[in-house]
Amino acid sequence: MAKNKTEKSYFDRVHSWGRISSVTALCILLMFPMAICLYLDVSPDIKFILQGLLKLIPTYWTVAVVEVLVYTPMLGAGGTYLSFVTGNIANLKLPCAISAMEGAKVKANSEEGEVISTIAIATSAIVTTIVLAIGIIAFAPFLDSFTKSPLLKPAFDQVIPALFGALGAGYFIKHWRISFFPIIIMIIVLVFSPGMGASTLLFFGIVASVGGALAMHKLGWLDNVKD
Amino acid sequence: MSETFNNGSLGLYLIAGAIILFVLVQSIFFLVKAWKQGKKLGLDKSKLRNAVTSSALFTIPSALSVLATVIALAPALGLVIPWVRLSVIGNLMYETTAAEAAMEAFGHTGGIANAVTDPTVYAGIAWVMTLGICFSLVILPFLAKPLHKKFMAASNKEASAEAAPADGKKKRTIGEFINKFATPAIFIGLIGAFIARSINGRGALDDNKQPIFGDGDGAGVLSVCTLIVAIVFSILLEILVKKLKLTWLEPFIMPIGMIVAMIAAIILYNVLPADIATFEWRG
Repeated sequence: MAKNKTEKSYFDRVHSWGRISSVTALCILLMFPMAICLYLDVSPDIKFILQGLLKLIPTYWTVAVVEVLVYTPMLGAGGTYLSFVTGNIANLKLPCAISAMEGAKVKANSEEGEVISTIAIATSAIVTTIVLAIGIIAFAPFLDSFTKSPLLKPAFDQVIPALFGALGAGYFIKHWRISFFPIIIMIIVLVFSPGMGASTLLFFGIVASVGGALAMHKLGWLDNVKD
Repeated sequence: MSETFNNGSLGLYLIAGAIILFVLVQSIFFLVKAWKQGKKLGLDKSKLRNAVTSSALFTIPSALSVLATVIALAPALGLVIPWVRLSVIGNLMYETTAAEAAMEAFGHTGGIANAVTDPTVYAGIAWVMTLGICFSLVILPFLAKPLHKKFMAASNKEASAEAAPADGKKKRTIGEFINKFATPAIFIGLIGAFIARSINGRGALDDNKQPIFGDGDGAGVLSVCTLIVAIVFSILLEILVKKLKLTWLEPFIMPIGMIVAMIAAIILYNVLPADIATFEWRG
Protein backbone atom coordinates (compact mmCIF):
# COMPACT_ATOMS: atom_id res chain seq x y z
CA MET A 1 0.00 0.00 0.00
CA ALA A 2 2.84 2.32 0.96
CA LYS A 3 4.61 1.41 -2.26
CA ASN A 4 1.46 2.25 -4.19
CA LYS A 5 1.47 5.72 -2.65
CA THR A 6 5.15 6.26 -3.56
CA GLU A 7 4.44 5.03 -7.09
CA LYS A 8 1.61 7.52 -7.51
CA SER A 9 3.60 10.44 -6.27
CA TYR A 10 6.60 9.56 -8.47
CA PHE A 11 4.45 9.28 -11.60
CA ASP A 12 2.63 12.50 -10.72
CA ARG A 13 5.94 14.29 -10.30
CA VAL A 14 7.21 12.92 -13.62
CA HIS A 15 4.08 14.22 -15.35
CA SER A 16 4.52 17.66 -13.75
CA TRP A 17 8.18 17.85 -14.84
CA GLY A 18 7.25 16.50 -18.26
CA ARG A 19 4.49 19.05 -18.81
CA ILE A 20 6.74 21.94 -17.77
CA SER A 21 9.63 20.71 -19.93
CA SER A 22 7.37 20.11 -22.97
CA VAL A 23 5.92 23.63 -22.82
CA THR A 24 9.40 25.10 -22.27
CA ALA A 25 10.77 23.07 -25.21
CA LEU A 26 7.91 24.29 -27.41
CA CYS A 27 8.63 27.93 -26.52
CA ILE A 28 12.38 27.49 -27.09
CA LEU A 29 11.75 25.70 -30.37
CA LEU A 30 9.53 28.52 -31.65
CA MET A 31 12.19 31.04 -30.65
CA PHE A 32 14.60 29.39 -33.12
CA PRO A 33 13.07 30.72 -36.39
CA MET A 34 12.28 33.97 -34.59
CA ALA A 35 15.93 34.37 -33.60
CA ILE A 36 17.03 33.58 -37.18
CA CYS A 37 14.69 36.31 -38.53
CA LEU A 38 16.02 38.84 -36.02
CA TYR A 39 19.65 37.86 -36.58
CA LEU A 40 19.39 37.99 -40.40
CA ASP A 41 17.01 40.98 -40.26
CA VAL A 42 14.47 39.38 -42.60
CA SER A 43 10.73 38.70 -42.48
CA PRO A 44 9.64 35.86 -44.77
CA ASP A 45 6.25 36.14 -46.48
CA ILE A 46 3.59 34.43 -44.33
CA LYS A 47 1.82 33.31 -47.51
CA PHE A 48 4.76 31.08 -48.49
CA ILE A 49 5.14 29.78 -44.94
CA LEU A 50 1.46 28.77 -44.94
CA GLN A 51 1.85 27.20 -48.38
CA GLY A 52 4.69 25.04 -47.06
CA LEU A 53 2.80 24.22 -43.86
CA LEU A 54 -0.33 23.21 -45.76
CA LYS A 55 1.66 20.38 -47.30
CA LEU A 56 2.98 19.21 -43.94
CA ILE A 57 0.21 19.79 -41.40
CA PRO A 58 -2.35 17.21 -42.63
CA THR A 59 0.29 14.47 -42.45
CA TYR A 60 2.59 15.61 -39.67
CA TRP A 61 -0.08 16.69 -37.22
CA THR A 62 -2.04 13.48 -37.78
CA VAL A 63 1.15 11.47 -37.32
CA ALA A 64 1.84 13.48 -34.13
CA VAL A 65 -1.53 12.40 -32.65
CA VAL A 66 -0.99 8.77 -33.73
CA GLU A 67 2.54 8.79 -32.31
CA VAL A 68 1.45 10.18 -28.95
CA LEU A 69 -1.30 7.54 -28.75
CA VAL A 70 0.95 4.65 -29.86
CA TYR A 71 4.26 5.47 -28.17
CA THR A 72 3.10 6.77 -24.77
CA PRO A 73 2.17 3.32 -23.42
CA MET A 74 5.44 1.85 -24.71
CA LEU A 75 7.84 4.53 -23.49
CA GLY A 76 6.50 5.18 -19.99
CA ALA A 77 5.87 8.65 -18.56
CA GLY A 78 9.40 10.10 -18.31
CA GLY A 79 10.50 8.40 -21.51
CA THR A 80 7.52 9.82 -23.40
CA TYR A 81 8.20 13.45 -22.47
CA LEU A 82 11.91 13.11 -23.21
CA SER A 83 11.39 11.23 -26.49
CA PHE A 84 8.93 13.73 -27.90
CA VAL A 85 11.31 16.62 -27.19
CA THR A 86 14.38 14.89 -28.61
CA GLY A 87 12.74 13.03 -31.53
CA ASN A 88 13.91 10.01 -33.53
CA ILE A 89 11.50 7.84 -31.53
CA ALA A 90 10.80 4.89 -33.85
CA ASN A 91 14.34 4.48 -35.13
CA LEU A 92 16.21 5.18 -31.90
CA LYS A 93 14.46 5.95 -28.58
CA LEU A 94 11.89 3.15 -28.62
CA PRO A 95 14.28 0.30 -29.56
CA CYS A 96 16.76 1.71 -27.06
CA ALA A 97 14.20 1.68 -24.22
CA ILE A 98 12.94 -1.80 -25.11
CA SER A 99 16.47 -3.18 -25.29
CA ALA A 100 17.41 -1.64 -21.91
CA MET A 101 14.25 -3.01 -20.24
CA GLU A 102 14.92 -6.47 -21.69
CA GLY A 103 18.53 -6.27 -20.48
CA ALA A 104 17.41 -5.28 -16.97
CA LYS A 105 14.63 -7.93 -17.04
CA VAL A 106 11.93 -5.44 -16.00
CA LYS A 107 8.41 -5.03 -17.39
CA ALA A 108 7.46 -1.95 -19.40
CA ASN A 109 4.37 -1.27 -17.29
CA SER A 110 6.12 -1.47 -13.90
CA GLU A 111 7.77 1.34 -11.95
CA GLU A 112 11.14 -0.38 -12.45
CA GLY A 113 10.47 -0.42 -16.19
CA GLU A 114 9.58 3.26 -16.05
CA VAL A 115 12.92 4.05 -14.38
CA ILE A 116 15.03 1.94 -16.77
CA SER A 117 13.17 3.29 -19.83
CA THR A 118 13.73 6.90 -18.70
CA ILE A 119 17.43 6.24 -18.03
CA ALA A 120 17.84 4.59 -21.47
CA ILE A 121 16.07 7.37 -23.34
CA ALA A 122 17.86 10.15 -21.44
CA THR A 123 21.23 8.49 -22.14
CA SER A 124 20.31 8.05 -25.78
CA ALA A 125 19.31 11.73 -26.07
CA ILE A 126 22.54 12.87 -24.42
CA VAL A 127 24.72 10.63 -26.62
CA THR A 128 22.90 11.71 -29.81
CA THR A 129 23.30 15.38 -28.89
CA ILE A 130 27.00 14.92 -28.18
CA VAL A 131 27.65 12.87 -31.36
CA LEU A 132 25.83 15.49 -33.46
CA ALA A 133 27.67 18.38 -31.81
CA ILE A 134 31.09 16.74 -32.25
CA GLY A 135 30.25 15.69 -35.82
CA ILE A 136 29.08 19.16 -36.76
CA ILE A 137 31.98 21.01 -35.15
CA ALA A 138 34.44 18.59 -36.79
CA PHE A 139 32.64 18.62 -40.11
CA ALA A 140 31.79 22.33 -40.50
CA PRO A 141 35.23 23.48 -41.77
CA PHE A 142 35.24 20.78 -44.46
CA LEU A 143 31.60 21.01 -45.52
CA ASP A 144 32.18 22.94 -48.73
CA SER A 145 35.14 20.90 -49.91
CA PHE A 146 33.23 17.74 -49.01
CA THR A 147 29.90 18.41 -50.72
CA LYS A 148 31.42 20.19 -53.73
CA SER A 149 34.24 17.73 -54.40
CA PRO A 150 33.91 16.38 -58.00
CA LEU A 151 34.81 12.90 -56.72
CA LEU A 152 32.09 12.88 -54.05
CA LYS A 153 29.44 14.78 -56.06
CA PRO A 154 27.70 11.61 -57.40
CA ALA A 155 27.41 10.31 -53.82
CA PHE A 156 25.82 13.52 -52.52
CA ASP A 157 23.56 13.74 -55.61
CA GLN A 158 22.28 10.26 -54.74
CA VAL A 159 22.03 10.72 -50.97
CA ILE A 160 18.20 10.48 -51.04
CA PRO A 161 17.97 7.00 -52.65
CA ALA A 162 20.88 5.86 -50.44
CA LEU A 163 19.31 7.19 -47.24
CA PHE A 164 15.73 6.10 -47.86
CA GLY A 165 16.71 2.77 -49.44
CA ALA A 166 18.72 1.87 -46.33
CA LEU A 167 16.07 3.25 -43.98
CA GLY A 168 13.24 1.52 -45.86
CA ALA A 169 14.97 -1.88 -46.00
CA GLY A 170 14.15 -2.63 -42.35
CA TYR A 171 10.46 -1.87 -42.95
CA PHE A 172 10.32 -3.71 -46.29
CA ILE A 173 11.76 -6.91 -44.86
CA LYS A 174 9.22 -6.92 -42.01
CA HIS A 175 6.24 -5.34 -43.77
CA TRP A 176 6.83 -6.35 -47.40
CA ARG A 177 3.15 -7.21 -47.84
CA ILE A 178 2.07 -3.60 -47.27
CA SER A 179 5.08 -1.97 -49.00
CA PHE A 180 4.59 -2.69 -52.70
CA PHE A 181 1.14 -1.17 -53.18
CA PRO A 182 1.85 2.43 -52.03
CA ILE A 183 5.17 2.60 -53.93
CA ILE A 184 3.52 1.37 -57.16
CA ILE A 185 0.71 3.94 -56.69
CA MET A 186 3.26 6.76 -56.22
CA ILE A 187 5.26 5.67 -59.28
CA ILE A 188 2.02 5.79 -61.30
CA VAL A 189 1.24 9.27 -59.90
CA LEU A 190 4.71 10.39 -61.04
CA VAL A 191 4.03 9.11 -64.56
CA PHE A 192 1.36 11.82 -64.83
CA SER A 193 3.08 14.45 -62.68
CA PRO A 194 6.86 13.78 -62.74
CA GLY A 195 7.79 17.05 -61.01
CA MET A 196 5.59 16.45 -57.95
CA GLY A 197 7.67 17.01 -54.81
CA ALA A 198 8.06 14.31 -52.18
CA SER A 199 6.06 16.33 -49.65
CA THR A 200 2.99 16.35 -51.93
CA LEU A 201 3.55 12.81 -53.18
CA LEU A 202 3.56 11.36 -49.70
CA PHE A 203 -0.18 12.11 -49.32
CA PHE A 204 -0.85 9.57 -52.05
CA GLY A 205 1.67 7.24 -50.43
CA ILE A 206 0.17 7.40 -46.95
CA VAL A 207 -3.43 7.07 -48.17
CA ALA A 208 -2.46 4.09 -50.35
CA SER A 209 -0.29 2.56 -47.64
CA VAL A 210 -2.78 2.89 -44.76
CA GLY A 211 -5.78 2.03 -47.00
CA GLY A 212 -3.99 -0.98 -48.52
CA ALA A 213 -2.76 -2.21 -45.14
CA LEU A 214 -6.24 -1.87 -43.61
CA ALA A 215 -7.78 -3.84 -46.49
CA MET A 216 -5.12 -6.58 -46.12
CA HIS A 217 -5.68 -6.66 -42.35
CA LYS A 218 -9.44 -7.08 -42.83
CA LEU A 219 -8.84 -9.83 -45.41
CA GLY A 220 -6.58 -11.63 -42.96
CA TRP A 221 -3.44 -11.33 -45.12
CA LEU A 222 -1.49 -9.84 -42.23
CA ASP A 223 -2.45 -12.40 -39.60
CA ASN A 224 1.00 -14.00 -39.52
CA VAL A 225 2.94 -10.74 -39.16
CA LYS A 226 4.70 -10.68 -35.79
CA ASP A 227 5.07 -7.52 -33.67
CA MET B 1 16.19 39.58 -53.73
CA SER B 2 19.16 37.33 -54.32
CA GLU B 3 21.43 38.60 -51.58
CA THR B 4 23.71 35.78 -50.40
CA PHE B 5 24.56 35.22 -46.75
CA ASN B 6 26.68 33.00 -44.55
CA ASN B 7 24.52 30.11 -43.30
CA GLY B 8 27.38 29.03 -41.04
CA SER B 9 28.02 32.27 -39.16
CA LEU B 10 28.95 32.27 -35.48
CA GLY B 11 25.67 33.98 -34.55
CA LEU B 12 23.59 31.18 -36.08
CA TYR B 13 25.73 28.57 -34.34
CA LEU B 14 25.23 30.35 -31.00
CA ILE B 15 21.44 30.38 -31.48
CA ALA B 16 21.55 26.64 -32.26
CA GLY B 17 23.92 25.97 -29.34
CA ALA B 18 21.51 27.56 -26.84
CA ILE B 19 18.67 25.31 -28.00
CA ILE B 20 20.82 22.17 -27.97
CA LEU B 21 21.95 23.06 -24.44
CA PHE B 22 18.31 22.97 -23.28
CA VAL B 23 17.91 19.44 -24.68
CA LEU B 24 21.02 18.33 -22.82
CA VAL B 25 19.94 19.88 -19.52
CA GLN B 26 16.47 18.35 -19.78
CA SER B 27 17.88 14.89 -20.51
CA ILE B 28 20.35 15.12 -17.61
CA PHE B 29 17.52 16.23 -15.29
CA PHE B 30 15.35 13.21 -16.16
CA LEU B 31 18.35 10.88 -15.98
CA VAL B 32 19.24 12.04 -12.46
CA LYS B 33 15.61 11.85 -11.24
CA ALA B 34 15.12 8.35 -12.68
CA TRP B 35 18.45 7.17 -11.25
CA LYS B 36 17.47 8.40 -7.76
CA GLN B 37 14.06 6.74 -8.08
CA GLY B 38 15.75 3.51 -9.18
CA LYS B 39 17.91 3.54 -6.07
CA LYS B 40 14.85 4.26 -3.94
CA LEU B 41 13.10 1.25 -5.47
CA GLY B 42 16.11 -0.89 -4.59
CA LEU B 43 17.19 -1.52 -8.18
CA ASP B 44 20.69 -2.95 -8.36
CA LYS B 45 23.28 -0.25 -9.23
CA SER B 46 24.77 -2.52 -11.90
CA LYS B 47 21.34 -2.69 -13.61
CA LEU B 48 21.15 1.10 -13.71
CA ARG B 49 24.74 1.37 -14.96
CA ASN B 50 24.14 -1.29 -17.61
CA ALA B 51 21.07 0.61 -18.84
CA VAL B 52 23.30 3.67 -19.38
CA THR B 53 26.17 1.76 -21.03
CA SER B 54 24.01 -0.36 -23.33
CA SER B 55 21.88 2.62 -24.36
CA ALA B 56 24.96 4.71 -25.12
CA LEU B 57 26.47 1.93 -27.27
CA PHE B 58 23.12 1.26 -28.94
CA THR B 59 22.74 4.96 -29.76
CA ILE B 60 26.13 5.75 -31.35
CA PRO B 61 25.52 4.14 -34.78
CA SER B 62 21.99 5.54 -35.04
CA ALA B 63 23.30 8.94 -34.00
CA LEU B 64 25.77 8.64 -36.89
CA SER B 65 22.87 8.08 -39.28
CA VAL B 66 21.17 11.18 -37.83
CA LEU B 67 24.44 13.01 -38.48
CA ALA B 68 24.34 11.64 -42.03
CA THR B 69 20.90 13.25 -42.49
CA VAL B 70 22.24 16.57 -41.17
CA ILE B 71 25.03 16.27 -43.74
CA ALA B 72 22.51 15.33 -46.46
CA LEU B 73 20.57 18.53 -45.79
CA ALA B 74 23.72 20.64 -45.43
CA PRO B 75 24.33 21.43 -49.13
CA ALA B 76 20.99 23.31 -49.21
CA LEU B 77 20.64 24.64 -45.67
CA GLY B 78 24.10 24.62 -44.13
CA LEU B 79 24.52 22.82 -40.81
CA VAL B 80 22.62 25.01 -38.34
CA ILE B 81 18.95 24.37 -39.27
CA PRO B 82 19.40 20.60 -39.81
CA TRP B 83 21.37 20.39 -36.55
CA VAL B 84 18.61 22.02 -34.49
CA ARG B 85 15.78 20.29 -36.33
CA LEU B 86 17.32 16.84 -35.84
CA SER B 87 18.18 17.51 -32.19
CA VAL B 88 14.71 18.71 -31.12
CA ILE B 89 11.73 16.48 -32.08
CA GLY B 90 13.44 15.82 -35.42
CA ASN B 91 13.38 12.61 -37.36
CA LEU B 92 15.30 11.25 -40.34
CA MET B 93 12.20 11.11 -42.55
CA TYR B 94 10.29 14.16 -41.40
CA GLU B 95 13.07 16.69 -41.72
CA THR B 96 13.99 15.87 -45.31
CA THR B 97 10.30 16.01 -46.28
CA ALA B 98 9.72 19.25 -44.36
CA ALA B 99 12.78 20.86 -45.96
CA GLU B 100 11.56 19.84 -49.43
CA ALA B 101 8.03 21.19 -48.74
CA ALA B 102 9.41 24.49 -47.44
CA MET B 103 11.77 24.86 -50.41
CA GLU B 104 8.95 24.15 -52.86
CA ALA B 105 6.73 26.78 -51.20
CA PHE B 106 9.48 29.39 -51.45
CA GLY B 107 10.16 28.50 -55.08
CA HIS B 108 13.60 27.02 -54.41
CA THR B 109 14.11 24.57 -57.27
CA GLY B 110 16.42 21.58 -57.27
CA GLY B 111 15.51 20.34 -53.80
CA ILE B 112 18.04 19.62 -51.11
CA ALA B 113 20.99 19.35 -53.53
CA ASN B 114 21.00 23.11 -54.25
CA ALA B 115 22.12 25.78 -51.78
CA VAL B 116 19.58 28.25 -50.40
CA THR B 117 21.27 31.61 -50.90
CA ASP B 118 18.46 34.01 -49.98
CA PRO B 119 18.32 34.76 -46.21
CA THR B 120 14.55 35.39 -46.35
CA VAL B 121 13.95 31.97 -47.89
CA TYR B 122 16.34 30.45 -45.34
CA ALA B 123 14.39 31.97 -42.44
CA GLY B 124 11.08 30.92 -44.05
CA ILE B 125 12.30 27.33 -44.30
CA ALA B 126 13.21 27.44 -40.58
CA TRP B 127 9.63 28.55 -39.80
CA VAL B 128 7.99 25.85 -41.93
CA MET B 129 10.22 23.08 -40.55
CA THR B 130 9.63 24.20 -36.96
CA LEU B 131 5.86 24.77 -37.12
CA GLY B 132 5.34 21.59 -39.13
CA ILE B 133 6.92 19.37 -36.51
CA CYS B 134 5.92 20.97 -33.19
CA PHE B 135 2.35 19.67 -32.82
CA SER B 136 3.27 16.69 -30.66
CA LEU B 137 4.61 19.09 -28.02
CA VAL B 138 1.29 20.97 -28.07
CA ILE B 139 -0.84 17.88 -27.39
CA LEU B 140 1.56 15.93 -25.19
CA PRO B 141 0.91 17.91 -21.96
CA PHE B 142 -2.83 17.18 -22.34
CA LEU B 143 -2.69 13.56 -23.51
CA ALA B 144 0.32 11.89 -21.89
CA LYS B 145 -0.96 11.68 -18.30
CA PRO B 146 -4.48 10.31 -19.00
CA LEU B 147 -3.08 7.90 -21.61
CA HIS B 148 -0.39 6.67 -19.26
CA LYS B 149 -2.86 6.15 -16.41
CA LYS B 150 -5.28 4.28 -18.67
CA PHE B 151 -2.47 2.05 -19.87
CA MET B 152 -1.30 1.29 -16.35
CA ALA B 153 -4.87 0.35 -15.39
CA ALA B 154 -5.42 -1.67 -18.56
CA SER B 155 -2.12 -3.56 -18.22
CA ASN B 156 -3.42 -5.18 -15.03
CA LYS B 157 -6.16 -6.82 -17.08
CA GLU B 158 -3.78 -7.69 -19.91
CA ALA B 159 -3.36 -11.35 -19.05
CA SER B 160 -7.08 -12.14 -19.09
CA ALA B 161 -7.60 -10.09 -22.27
CA GLU B 162 -4.92 -12.09 -24.06
CA ALA B 163 -6.82 -15.34 -23.63
CA ALA B 164 -8.15 -16.91 -26.84
CA PRO B 165 -11.57 -15.67 -27.98
CA ALA B 166 -14.41 -17.92 -26.82
CA ASP B 167 -15.67 -18.61 -30.36
CA GLY B 168 -12.16 -19.53 -31.56
CA LYS B 169 -12.30 -17.01 -34.44
CA LYS B 170 -9.65 -14.32 -34.83
CA LYS B 171 -11.15 -10.83 -34.64
CA ARG B 172 -9.46 -8.29 -36.92
CA THR B 173 -10.40 -5.04 -35.23
CA ILE B 174 -9.51 -1.45 -36.18
CA GLY B 175 -7.87 -1.15 -32.75
CA GLU B 176 -5.55 -4.06 -33.54
CA PHE B 177 -4.79 -2.51 -36.94
CA ILE B 178 -3.87 0.86 -35.38
CA ASN B 179 -1.76 -0.84 -32.76
CA LYS B 180 0.16 -3.10 -35.16
CA PHE B 181 0.13 -1.61 -38.64
CA ALA B 182 -0.85 2.09 -38.67
CA THR B 183 2.59 3.44 -37.76
CA PRO B 184 4.59 1.18 -40.12
CA ALA B 185 2.07 1.94 -42.91
CA ILE B 186 2.51 5.69 -42.39
CA PHE B 187 6.31 5.29 -42.31
CA ILE B 188 6.24 3.22 -45.50
CA GLY B 189 4.10 5.93 -47.16
CA LEU B 190 6.66 8.56 -46.15
CA ILE B 191 9.73 6.53 -47.14
CA GLY B 192 7.98 5.35 -50.32
CA ALA B 193 7.52 8.94 -51.54
CA PHE B 194 11.29 9.42 -51.73
CA ILE B 195 11.83 5.97 -53.18
CA ALA B 196 9.19 6.54 -55.87
CA ARG B 197 10.82 9.87 -56.75
CA SER B 198 14.18 8.13 -57.09
CA ILE B 199 12.55 5.70 -59.54
CA ASN B 200 10.35 8.02 -61.55
CA GLY B 201 10.71 11.65 -60.39
CA ARG B 202 11.91 14.68 -62.34
CA GLY B 203 14.53 17.12 -61.04
CA ALA B 204 14.78 20.90 -61.41
CA LEU B 205 13.64 22.72 -64.56
CA ASP B 206 15.76 25.26 -66.45
CA ASP B 207 14.83 28.94 -66.94
CA ASN B 208 12.59 27.95 -69.87
CA LYS B 209 10.74 25.44 -67.66
CA GLN B 210 12.33 22.52 -69.53
CA PRO B 211 13.78 19.41 -67.80
CA ILE B 212 17.57 19.33 -67.43
CA PHE B 213 18.94 15.87 -68.29
CA GLY B 214 22.09 14.47 -66.67
CA ASP B 215 22.46 16.95 -63.79
CA GLY B 216 22.05 14.21 -61.16
CA ASP B 217 18.82 15.35 -59.48
CA GLY B 218 16.24 13.30 -61.44
CA ALA B 219 15.37 9.61 -61.62
CA GLY B 220 17.81 7.70 -63.78
CA VAL B 221 20.34 4.89 -63.95
CA LEU B 222 22.39 6.17 -61.03
CA SER B 223 19.46 6.89 -58.67
CA VAL B 224 17.87 3.48 -59.30
CA CYS B 225 21.19 1.62 -58.94
CA THR B 226 21.95 3.48 -55.70
CA LEU B 227 18.48 2.68 -54.37
CA ILE B 228 18.82 -1.03 -55.26
CA VAL B 229 22.26 -1.25 -53.63
CA ALA B 230 20.96 0.47 -50.46
CA ILE B 231 17.92 -1.83 -50.14
CA VAL B 232 19.59 -5.11 -51.15
CA PHE B 233 22.74 -4.53 -49.08
CA SER B 234 20.75 -3.51 -45.99
CA ILE B 235 18.42 -6.51 -46.31
CA LEU B 236 21.35 -8.93 -46.80
CA LEU B 237 23.10 -7.41 -43.80
CA GLU B 238 19.93 -7.77 -41.71
CA ILE B 239 19.60 -11.45 -42.70
CA LEU B 240 23.27 -12.03 -41.88
CA VAL B 241 22.88 -10.33 -38.49
CA LYS B 242 19.85 -12.53 -37.67
CA LYS B 243 21.44 -15.78 -38.93
CA LEU B 244 24.76 -15.27 -37.15
CA LYS B 245 23.08 -13.60 -34.13
CA LEU B 246 25.34 -10.55 -34.47
CA THR B 247 23.02 -8.33 -32.42
CA TRP B 248 25.79 -5.76 -31.82
CA LEU B 249 25.81 -5.09 -35.58
CA GLU B 250 22.04 -4.47 -35.80
CA PRO B 251 22.08 -0.71 -35.12
CA PHE B 252 24.82 -0.26 -37.75
CA ILE B 253 22.76 -1.71 -40.62
CA MET B 254 21.17 1.56 -41.72
CA PRO B 255 24.31 3.75 -41.69
CA ILE B 256 26.39 0.99 -43.34
CA GLY B 257 23.71 0.44 -46.04
CA MET B 258 23.58 4.16 -46.76
CA ILE B 259 27.35 4.62 -46.95
CA VAL B 260 27.81 1.51 -49.14
CA ALA B 261 25.12 2.81 -51.54
CA MET B 262 26.80 6.23 -51.72
CA ILE B 263 30.16 4.56 -52.47
CA ALA B 264 28.40 2.45 -55.14
CA ALA B 265 27.12 5.69 -56.72
CA ILE B 266 30.69 7.03 -56.97
CA ILE B 267 32.00 3.75 -58.43
CA LEU B 268 29.16 3.42 -60.97
CA TYR B 269 29.52 7.07 -62.01
CA ASN B 270 33.20 6.48 -62.78
CA VAL B 271 32.98 2.95 -64.22
CA LEU B 272 29.90 3.17 -66.44
CA PRO B 273 30.10 4.96 -69.82
CA ALA B 274 29.22 8.64 -69.22
CA ASP B 275 26.03 8.59 -71.32
CA ILE B 276 24.69 5.64 -69.28
CA ALA B 277 25.82 6.88 -65.85
CA THR B 278 24.20 10.28 -66.32
CA PHE B 279 21.10 8.97 -68.13
CA GLU B 280 17.89 10.32 -66.54
CA TRP B 281 14.54 9.29 -68.03
CA ARG B 282 12.59 12.20 -66.60
CA GLY B 283 15.24 14.93 -66.60
